[in-house]
Amino acid sequence: MALAPVGLQHFLVLAVILFCIGMYGALSRSNAVGILLSIELMLNAVNIMMVAFARYINTQQELAGQLFAIFIMTVAAAEAAVGLAIVISVYRLRHTIQVEDIDLLKG
Amino acid sequence: MSATDAISSIVFYAVAALMLACAVGMVFARNMIRSALLLVVVLSGVALMYVLLSADFLAVAQILVYVGAIMVLMLFAIMLTPNQVDLSGGTTQGQKISAALTAITIGTIAVGVVITHPWNLRPTALNVETAERIGMLLLNTYVLPFWIASILLTVGLIGAIVIAREE
Repeated sequence: MALAPVGLQHFLVLAVILFCIGMYGALSRSNAVGILLSIELMLNAVNIMMVAFARYINTQQELAGQLFAIFIMTVAAAEAAVGLAIVISVYRLRHTIQVEDIDLLKG
Repeated sequence: MSATDAISSIVFYAVAALMLACAVGMVFARNMIRSALLLVVVLSGVALMYVLLSADFLAVAQILVYVGAIMVLMLFAIMLTPNQVDLSGGTTQGQKISAALTAITIGTIAVGVVITHPWNLRPTALNVETAERIGMLLLNTYVLPFWIASILLTVGLIGAIVIAREE
């Protein structure tokens, strides 16, 4: 079989592609929860990169990449909780979570 | 190529293909519940990638935090906003095309940089007890970020309760 051994670049390319899929979703969705789901995908793609760097890059600070991934996970948890609370609150007030209908601050 | 390398290559390609297919399905699914469930598959795939990258602690944390907690939160949010389950195709065609162009441009540039950059690779594989070392690092070198992250989580969760509760 002609499978190349998996290296750093394989993981980085996978992460970049996942990040771009998530970015397309975040930019093209009109449902606020859909946008939050796409942002979670983007954050996870970055986490794959961080852990891949921790595994393959030659550095004095071993595991620094994994610690970054842990902090990203923490911030993502807080972001998801606050974001979804805002979505539920907006739905209660306006009965919609389509982002183009939420235009209360538009002049 | 040793047997372990061959197995990890096969697992990598299989999981990567599954993750990419589910990510594309998640972005294009019209039904929000289906979209969220496809994201669960992608997040579990990320946990498998962490195992391949010898980050066992992070793989368990990924399953617990993302697949366990955040996705349940997402599903609750989808179910608490009824009549929004199906996307009504609210975005215009132009917005979709420009979103695709942005994603493809950034993706092409990033893949080019990632492939051509001369990375300074480590000579030997990473072989440390991750959970133990991460605990030591969090309480020594990274103790200030650890505190800030703890305060951020507390403030964020209290804020979420205050925002979402009925008046």
